[in-house]
Amino acid sequence: MPPPLLRLSDISKSFGGVEALKPFSLELEAGTVLGLVGENGAGKSTLIKLLSGLHRPDGGQIALAGRPCSFGSPKEALDAGIATIQQELEYASHLTVAENLLLGETWPRTFFGGVNWRSLYAEAEQRLRDFGIELPVRSLMSRLTAAEKQEVAIAGALARRARLLILDEPTASLSEPEVARLLTHLKRLRDQGVTLIYVSHRLDEIFEITDRIAVLRDGELVATHETKQVSAGQIVHDMVGRPLEQVYPRTRSGQTGEVLLQLDGLTRAGMFEDVSLSVRAGEIVGLAGLVGAGRSELARAVYGLYATDRGTVRICGRQWPLSGPDRALRRGLVYIPEERKRQGLVLDHSLGSSLSIGLRDSLSRLGVIRPRREQVKVQEMISRYDIRATGPEQLIGTLSGGNQQKALLARWLERDPQVIILDEPTRGVDVGAKAEIHAVIDRLAAAGKAVLFISSDLPEVLGMSDRVLVMNRGTIETELRGERMTEHNVMLAASGLDIE
Amino acid sequence: MIEESNFVRRHWFHDLLSQPFYGRNAASIRQRILFLLIGNCVLLGFIYARSIQTEGVSFLSEVALIPVALAPVVIAGLGLTGIIYAGGIDLSISTIIVVAGTVFGILFHNQASPAVCFAGCFLTAVALSSFNGLLVRLLRISPIIVTLAGLQFYRGLALILADWSIPNFGGSLTVQADAYQTPAQQYAWQILAVTVVVSLIWEAYGKTHRKFLALGCSREACRIAGLHPDRITQTSYTVGGLFLGIAALLFVTNQQVIEPARMAQGFELKVIAAVVLGGTNIFGGEGSMLGTVLGALFLYLIEPAMIYAGVSEYYRTAIPGFMIVAVISIDCALHRRQKLLDELR
Repeated sequence: MPPPLLRLSDISKSFGGVEALKPFSLELEAGTVLGLVGENGAGKSTLIKLLSGLHRPDGGQIALAGRPCSFGSPKEALDAGIATIQQELEYASHLTVAENLLLGETWPRTFFGGVNWRSLYAEAEQRLRDFGIELPVRSLMSRLTAAEKQEVAIAGALARRARLLILDEPTASLSEPEVARLLTHLKRLRDQGVTLIYVSHRLDEIFEITDRIAVLRDGELVATHETKQVSAGQIVHDMVGRPLEQVYPRTRSGQTGEVLLQLDGLTRAGMFEDVSLSVRAGEIVGLAGLVGAGRSELARAVYGLYATDRGTVRICGRQWPLSGPDRALRRGLVYIPEERKRQGLVLDHSLGSSLSIGLRDSLSRLGVIRPRREQVKVQEMISRYDIRATGPEQLIGTLSGGNQQKALLARWLERDPQVIILDEPTRGVDVGAKAEIHAVIDRLAAAGKAVLFISSDLPEVLGMSDRVLVMNRGTIETELRGERMTEHNVMLAASGLDIE
Repeated sequence: MIEESNFVRRHWFHDLLSQPFYGRNAASIRQRILFLLIGNCVLLGFIYARSIQTEGVSFLSEVALIPVALAPVVIAGLGLTGIIYAGGIDLSISTIIVVAGTVFGILFHNQASPAVCFAGCFLTAVALSSFNGLLVRLLRISPIIVTLAGLQFYRGLALILADWSIPNFGGSLTVQADAYQTPAQQYAWQILAVTVVVSLIWEAYGKTHRKFLALGCSREACRIAGLHPDRITQTSYTVGGLFLGIAALLFVTNQQVIEPARMAQGFELKVIAAVVLGGTNIFGGEGSMLGTVLGALFLYLIEPAMIYAGVSEYYRTAIPGFMIVAVISIDCALHRRQKLLDELR
């Protein structure tokens, strides 16, 4: 019997005395798919970094096809046949697709010693074709969609004869059809004998593609299961170490009040058209749709970030001229953006100052902040929103994604808004923190706020919302209530098909 | 949304000429190049129209002045473009030229042959620029800080060198011998033309500049691909040094008197202005050598055009600065719509 493709024996890693990975062993047969799951901070990224040559293990051994190996750099791991597709892809955006594919390799030359661009492009096209896709290799990398960039990265790794392909949250920024497309590619690779490690928060994908599932918790390998013989409940149980009884909390009464947010025929050419909707007090309205359907654009326009061509917005019954976020805030509307790192948080500020930044007015006298009041307020917010940090001094960038998101929510909700628009609040957040964020959202509705909830996670948007609006190509395709609120119906409407 | 399809068969010259020289750039840079091309034509046209109206001036004699004045800026600009591509910068190019010039003067003072003087000048610039690269690499300090310090330090170094090597150094060195002035006085336009053509071909068909750009886009991507970011940084400074050496040679041999304390003041800003005006992103990762050449020409042509237009001297100092902002903001306004669409994607 040949040795397994990958064998990890007692590997461990600590950072400054903190054990990020406790010694564990794992074997992986060639041509199989291993799902790697765990909450944020469970040690998944550390394991990936060990395998991709970014870190060296403190103890233990990595053996590839029976041969022990040690990687000093990503290049060495790549040469050994381990390629990692990171969640945040790194590429040279202003170079062409072809150049990105062949970066770091010898390029074909002409007789005169210059780069033979024609053969370079041809080679790149060939590589993409080998992977089963066609893309314009001469366009700049920045012109590709996120899914296409990922395909380029995978094709590049395969062309370098990768035997083990590690995918870290590959579907985090993909729409549903793109996810399906990716999974089809991966299944084909598996059938061709490539071994895959698939890291994801999305259990449905894990169950669809993997043969085995390894669960990490707090740096420990707590279980490995054969995918066919395990239930999602068991995996979640292993991940959090406790059964998740109530995935979607519902403490709100279901009684709704007056309409707090109302859009009538809102239009911005090229983004969304003739959108009318209303959200009542005490109600959570889900806004579902594919990436690019115009949901975030609509939300940003309501917040006053984009000008609109036609239509009206009423907040708390009063017409709102859409004149900018500061005025929207004063009217009682907040928008919590999708990309929290880029749009919502200053990562190298401390947690304390990030929390109090929106409250400075109420914490200061004559323009001078009163430090004691600020401190008390910040402590209260940290405990109320259950933000896990070493203290208010911790830099926000070093918190886990879930806690960053909670901090962001805390900051905005302290202003006591009436209408809250949440854009993908749980993206890239682990299961435990997700549940806590869901609880916060539910409490908001219970307190009589109007919540417009944008999410691409279908079970989540269906589970959280009282009714769901589905957007497709800039228009509201349909509204789903009660029994019609199924994943099937949302997908049909989001793709512009008729609901059965 | 990709406008051009790759599956259309292309004419052979597309891959040979149009794509590598022009088409590979981002749309914003292509637009900037066209914009500068038109701007330069307008300025030249204006100068031509005014010069035929003015007595005692010929357009050709006006044009003949261009290479000598322009060559150092253009050539140093080409070198700096490569450094900026790779995410670096060199603020000390003016004082590197000063040191090179001082070495030239010292060698002249010691009665070295012209060839030795030229070589000394050239090699000093190459060495100091490489040294900048080495410092950036070893100290891991931002290049803007390293070279800002260099801007001060090298001028002092030039004075110290002169003081050491020349007894009774009075603050200036006089070089008055035609043989020592040939590069700038006789071959300026040939050197300029050859350097520009060679560097454009190198950019179009070489791999070096593509690596610089890749590094400027994403250091991490380079590392993952197995390139050595530090080595690329070093190469960008050394290659920049080669260009700077030629620029120094042309700059120095155009002077009768070498005055380390005052020579080439503000030269680095002229060069940076030309690079930025040419569409190169000051933070690296995208740009164009052709743009730098056109940008330098544009900044140069403004001066005679203002004189012909009768603008007073005080305004002539302010207007080029205003023009930089004006050109870039008009250009940005023109492609803002495109950029917005790009960002939304």
